[in-house]
Amino acid sequence: MAAHFSTYSSSSPTFSPSSFNHGTQQSAKFSVLQPSTSSFPTWASRIRLKIQTRRRFRIKSSNGHSPNAISLQDGIAGSPLGKVNVEHPEKEDFFHFSEPGKIEFTLSITVVGASGDLAKKKIFPALFALYYEDCLPENFTIFGYARTKLTDEELRNMISKTLTCRIDKRENCEDKMDKFLKRCYYQSGQYDSEEHFAELDCKLKQKEDGKLSNRLFYLSIPPNIFVHVVRCASLKASSANGWTRVIVEKPFGRDSESSGELTRSLKQYLTEDQIFRIDHYLGKELVENLSVLRFSNLVFEPLWSRNYIRNVQFIFSEDFGTEGRGGYFDNYGIIRDIMQNHLLQILALFAMETPVSLAAEDIRNEKVKVLRSMRPLQLEDVVVGQYKGHSKGAKSYPGYTDDPTVSNDSLTPTFAAAALFINNARWDGVPFLMKAGKALNTKRAEIRVQFRHVPGNLYKHNFGTDLDKATNELVLHVQPDEAIYLKINNKVPGLGMKLDRSDLNLLYRARYPREIPDAYERLLLDAIEGERRLFIRSDELDAAWALFTPVLKELEEKKIVPELYPYGSRGPVGAHYLAAKHNVRWGDLSSEDS
Amino acid sequence: MATLYATHCGSHSKGYAYSSFSPINGVQNQRLAFSSSFPWRDVSAKANVVLQSRRNSHQKAVLMQDGAVATTVTPIKNETTLKKSNDASMSIPSLEEYKDFAGLDVNGNEPTVSITVVGASGDLAKKKIFPALFALYYEDCLPKHFTIYGYARSKMTDAELRNMVSRTLTCRIDKRENCDEKMEQFLKRCFYHSGRYDSEENFAQLDKKLREHEGERVSNRLFYLSIPPNIFIDAVRCASSSASSANGWTRVIVEKPFGRDSESSSALTKALKQYLEEDQIFRIDHYLGKELVENLSVLRFSNLIFEPLWSRQYIRNVQFIFSEDFGTEGRGGYFDHYGIIRDIMQNHLLQMLALFAMETPVSLDAEDIRNEKVKVLRSMRPLQLEDVALGQYKNHTKGGVTYPAYTDDKTVPKDSLTPTFAAAALFIDNARWDGVPFLMKAGKALHTKRAEIRVQFRHVPGNLYNRNFGTDLDQATNELVIRVQPDEAIYLKINNKVPGLGMRLDRSNLNLHYAARYSKEIPDAYERLLLDAIEGERRLFIRSDELDAAWALFTPVLKELEEKKIVPEYYPYGGRGPVGAHYLAAKYKVRWGDLTVDQ
Repeated sequence: MAAHFSTYSSSSPTFSPSSFNHGTQQSAKFSVLQPSTSSFPTWASRIRLKIQTRRRFRIKSSNGHSPNAISLQDGIAGSPLGKVNVEHPEKEDFFHFSEPGKIEFTLSITVVGASGDLAKKKIFPALFALYYEDCLPENFTIFGYARTKLTDEELRNMISKTLTCRIDKRENCEDKMDKFLKRCYYQSGQYDSEEHFAELDCKLKQKEDGKLSNRLFYLSIPPNIFVHVVRCASLKASSANGWTRVIVEKPFGRDSESSGELTRSLKQYLTEDQIFRIDHYLGKELVENLSVLRFSNLVFEPLWSRNYIRNVQFIFSEDFGTEGRGGYFDNYGIIRDIMQNHLLQILALFAMETPVSLAAEDIRNEKVKVLRSMRPLQLEDVVVGQYKGHSKGAKSYPGYTDDPTVSNDSLTPTFAAAALFINNARWDGVPFLMKAGKALNTKRAEIRVQFRHVPGNLYKHNFGTDLDKATNELVLHVQPDEAIYLKINNKVPGLGMKLDRSDLNLLYRARYPREIPDAYERLLLDAIEGERRLFIRSDELDAAWALFTPVLKELEEKKIVPELYPYGSRGPVGAHYLAAKHNVRWGDLSSEDS
Repeated sequence: MATLYATHCGSHSKGYAYSSFSPINGVQNQRLAFSSSFPWRDVSAKANVVLQSRRNSHQKAVLMQDGAVATTVTPIKNETTLKKSNDASMSIPSLEEYKDFAGLDVNGNEPTVSITVVGASGDLAKKKIFPALFALYYEDCLPKHFTIYGYARSKMTDAELRNMVSRTLTCRIDKRENCDEKMEQFLKRCFYHSGRYDSEENFAQLDKKLREHEGERVSNRLFYLSIPPNIFIDAVRCASSSASSANGWTRVIVEKPFGRDSESSSALTKALKQYLEEDQIFRIDHYLGKELVENLSVLRFSNLIFEPLWSRQYIRNVQFIFSEDFGTEGRGGYFDHYGIIRDIMQNHLLQMLALFAMETPVSLDAEDIRNEKVKVLRSMRPLQLEDVALGQYKNHTKGGVTYPAYTDDKTVPKDSLTPTFAAAALFIDNARWDGVPFLMKAGKALHTKRAEIRVQFRHVPGNLYNRNFGTDLDQATNELVIRVQPDEAIYLKINNKVPGLGMRLDRSNLNLHYAARYSKEIPDAYERLLLDAIEGERRLFIRSDELDAAWALFTPVLKELEEKKIVPEYYPYGGRGPVGAHYLAAKYKVRWGDLTVDQ
């Protein structure tokens, strides 16, 4: 029942019909509420949640038998259709209202590729965390699907090894785990066998027990079999009376063509609103917070333009290489693996205009606008690198091409830096720099906003160093150690007048001792709820590929040799020259770096 | 050599080294005058050098006198800033020049400074002035040759003074080494002379003693008047006529109160001016020496992100809050005559307000900054009676301990109406601040001890998250807090998302806590101000016209309060002050930032 949903998981749907008893008439009034979550333990807000939940069911009903289901399809960004969802909720047929109290709902989550790494490390633990936090509906079933022969017991055994409880919520952990595992089942089968999926459907139906069934498929499999699975699942294992949704993970193709091809194939079997393309960076806490910072604080928005911002940097680094698993990576490279998706998505959120509302379509419309205002990346604005072997002390770290799964003459970049530009009124001329690399000296993901110098700075003469370089900087540390800080100039305490750059900071760990949920938890929950804000729409994906495809092709055609950099270093110096070309200094490699 | 002690005292150590003593020979003065184009403090000190020498020769050097806000000095500065080559030669003097600038006299002696603390046996002298002088000495901020004299009516020997002073001296926590040794050396430079405050003869005796210590050196003399205001003039008259330096500068530091209202203040100024030039008068407001008040201008003018927000367009209101957690504690005699408005608001809080609200000055020169402050004060509407809320603390018993009421203080008349608490709403009628309430609040015997500036920003227009949020986001606006004391800190309240699966917003702080970032002890305000007075840096001292403008704002309402015998609202000792302050704030749609739940 509603009551068992904890306050902070308020966005979770309440599937019990009884929860729809209040306020059926109010639905129209409340329907403009944002689908995003809110969380107040008060009676009133619970009602609101329920109503929000109802609104989501509407989206669900639109698939399967998509009559006049309205969804924003690729390319029609900003079309008036998008608003229909929000503005005419009274038209929605909340079918479960018709017979309150008679229909129960059930949710079946099928993890396709259950024996894979991602499934073990991320998906099952995230599902358990959601269960633990009472964010899953009361009736749910989890199925693992893969080719390996496994019994339910074996699956449970495998999963249980990776489940953990929140550090701050240890009580009943074992108990909860047991209960959770009891809801997990396994079905083995080929990914391209309709027959096997029909068997799965059969089993699912057993578990669903005649209840209204919603089905979520998580495709944790290599991209070359995406379409097969989607075909089989859609044809043989779709829900008959509820919604069916499919979560897919990158890679979404290698370029505009293959991506477009993949989308087209998926669309043979699915409608746009059934496809949930995950970019797990969008589920990160500080990426979620980016919009909150921008739009709920007066002090940032006036500064958010070319008038005050000198440049923006999106930095991703890993402190390890491919470590013997470079087979997949070698076919894609760092630009496709990190930049074209994660960093570009963050950029779009950073730079977008204020959306009409927080509704998914409104936000995604604005993101598409940003992407379409961007100049495709030019070869001269890219620097690529590849790590080489490096010995430090007694230890020796392998080069990228030492990886047995990587060809010895591979030119695949493991590092890239790029300068991008948004040709719109807000951002004209402001360099947006991206940098992503493996096997670097540090592990981090951050956004750095460097502000312009103070015009006519009174303190300029006061200061040994160049104040025009000691500009303000806003840093959002996405990981690890989530933090926000703003570098400001202030006076060093003391009798003299010495200026210093110090930080106004907010370290999440200090302020929020609670564990921050994994990005996958949020994204799974959103998929269950039909909240599409953090998933990538087809037209977004197209626009993103359009920016990178030309340069990716050029790199490959011209066989551009990456600059080699030692494993564990700060990356190729070429990145500095690229930055210098646009009058930028990388904020993460400055001496006062933090 | 001057360089030895100059490393961290001035903002620009080299500059300080050669600028803190005044050469008086004319040719060099001429050159030094040009160097005032440099905005940094030590160079402006050099400029002062010229002014000082003028005192003796009474040339027609142009001074910023009261009211004479824009003078011919400014164009000269602008002109010279353009002369790059000239600047360069000034900033890197050759050895020969250096010697000149260092103010060596014909005999090659360095100048000396004699600091006379008038009222040496008083509380302020013991608690603040001598310790600050020692700290400056300890930090090598005093000139190599200096002498400290205590002057008071009590009979004391040098040894007795040293004994008395030594009890209050402390070393910086982080610099314990050699402390005792340094103390001894310092105390050896301290002497005592007893005399009456109105006796020219006694001051002439002091002069004689000073000269003995000064020897052949160029002598600069600083008098710190740590005495009751009624004898200011006498002491100034005697010091000026009988103990002025013959060949260096003579400066006088005076502390509040500078009168009780416009009339008495200007009478005091007029009287002082009989004996002193404007540039010899250093009116101290020790709040201006506080680290974070100094930092206020740095924050505003050296960060891009604040200045665009610094106007009525983004700022909803500004609050200046001062509270003490103790009452008059048996020493209310002085206070009762003045009250909290004169004691705290008209000076400390108003000075902070002026610094906060002023336009960007042409440079960081003292006169440029003070010009801007005067402009702000003169743009302000005089305070109205209906914009003031008054309070007086009454006794209060908590857990067996009884705290006395203000009128229980034996030095206070039983029927005193003197406010020990006041809140006021002020307005600056200029283009930047029209309509923005500037609220002040000051009180004694409150529940906390603090001084802070709070800048509340406006709400986010069309806030997307408004509907997402149970509480009223329009109230959860951004707020910049500058905590002057205790625990110096700057923090900016921002809205952000509470980590977790929901979308809950939270106000959290982007903060800079000084104790965490700067382990060094922050110097006392008096150290900075004394050093500035020695260097002739006037930025943090109050000019006569500033003082007049400040009084003009408060005098009418002070008179009205007294004439109408307005009864203050009583509040319990240790409480949060009278609720009247909330109603005053409410009238201007403001909430006090310090009394909200999440402050």
